[in-house]
Amino acid sequence: MVDVVDIVKAKLKDKKITVVAAPAPSVRVALGEEFGLAPGEIVTKQMYGACEEAGFKILDVNYAADHTILEEGMELIAKIRHYMLGEDAHGHHLGPVPQFTSCCPAWVRFVELYYPDLMPNLSSAKSPMMMAGALAKTYGAEDIWNVQPENMFVVGVMPCTAKKFEASRPEFNSAANYWKKKGRSADYPDVDVVLTTRDFARLFKELNIDITKVKPADEKDNPFAEYTGAGTIFGNTGGVMEAALRTAYFVITGEELGILDFKPVRGYEKGVKEASVTMKDAKTGKEITVNVAVVHNMKMNIRPLLEEIRAGKSPYHFIEVMNCPAGCINGGGQPINPMGTSWVDKWRAFLPWESKGGL
Amino acid sequence: MAKYDYVEKAVKVTRREFLAILGVGAAFLFSGAALVSNVVFDRNKYIKMRAAGIYKDDEKSPKRQSHNNKGLNDMYARFAGEPLSPLAEELFHTHYIDRSKLL
Repeated sequence: MVDVVDIVKAKLKDKKITVVAAPAPSVRVALGEEFGLAPGEIVTKQMYGACEEAGFKILDVNYAADHTILEEGMELIAKIRHYMLGEDAHGHHLGPVPQFTSCCPAWVRFVELYYPDLMPNLSSAKSPMMMAGALAKTYGAEDIWNVQPENMFVVGVMPCTAKKFEASRPEFNSAANYWKKKGRSADYPDVDVVLTTRDFARLFKELNIDITKVKPADEKDNPFAEYTGAGTIFGNTGGVMEAALRTAYFVITGEELGILDFKPVRGYEKGVKEASVTMKDAKTGKEITVNVAVVHNMKMNIRPLLEEIRAGKSPYHFIEVMNCPAGCINGGGQPINPMGTSWVDKWRAFLPWESKGGL
Repeated sequence: MAKYDYVEKAVKVTRREFLAILGVGAAFLFSGAALVSNVVFDRNKYIKMRAAGIYKDDEKSPKRQSHNNKGLNDMYARFAGEPLSPLAEELFHTHYIDRSKLL
């Protein structure tokens, strides 16, 4: 077995190679746990600082999440305009409604395996990580870092183990194809390696970097480290939905949503959360109601919804699906919290000094 | 005392007591009492704390809608044009493969 951490360490040592770290939204609220901080502590700046010290360039996946919202949201808006307002599709091939989110690789694979007839409902937009990879090796290489795309190594840092599979899918080599059209010949994947949050913490520990002691970095002049609140909530169940609604509302009505906290899609007590949003189209003045659903803990909750869609009775227009209970923040690659579900460490939850969550 | 004399340990558990301890442990596991303890000790607290951290990050962000991300709008202006443009379709969209024959 080759350890991914060793691969990344070797690439960091190689001065010819530009190593780009792409950390996911959920990483910044859990990475601290591996260094003795409480769960939920936001360590974005410490993480940037540690990345700089280790020799990474940064493309925050929060930025790519904003990017996903624009691509996926515009796709949804085009569908709303076409199916609900009777507008022309402008030559775009539009899939059917309800539209599914496509950020969760476990969910995408589930559809491909068990419900291939519903594949057209999946948003064609890539997941934020794959967008980050494609963007880093095209626009990033050319415009931001001025390096050769062949000499780049993109490391996705994810709360997820299924992302390792996603990065290995052969169709994700858009950057190489883009450069082939411009006369280059090299072949490489968009995202070279995926580290889980635990792998990432192990990498820092092996490099003797403690994120609690490192000099925090702002990354103010890095356009790829700029992100909005909508990008960061991608890690929670309901977050992709909330972020998409903020942008969809603006594009359709022409004004910003008044109250941004959209409570009906938050929380993890209910497996399927439903909501509807009424908005007035700025162009035609027509009122439309968009019905949305948010599903997490997929194994327990998704099949009835999919059967409903197969039967043609689904009332929804947009459905967000995340495999893990409570979303990516509780993903399989996150630090194993002693107050959590690890059987081996369960006794630690009883200790008063451990209940804060430090390891 | 000879070198190889066997000495009993100070704490003695008889066979019956050993089985009784196992029984109590099994009863705890299978009766669902362990699940009740999950509620008492609130073991899912770390999930709530991480979720709260994410929402806090959202609230303290100066901009809270994706279309207001300046770095991203610059990228569209200088590189990809607009969402769903031909270049965006090529780089940022994908297709899916029927894998049901793997089942």
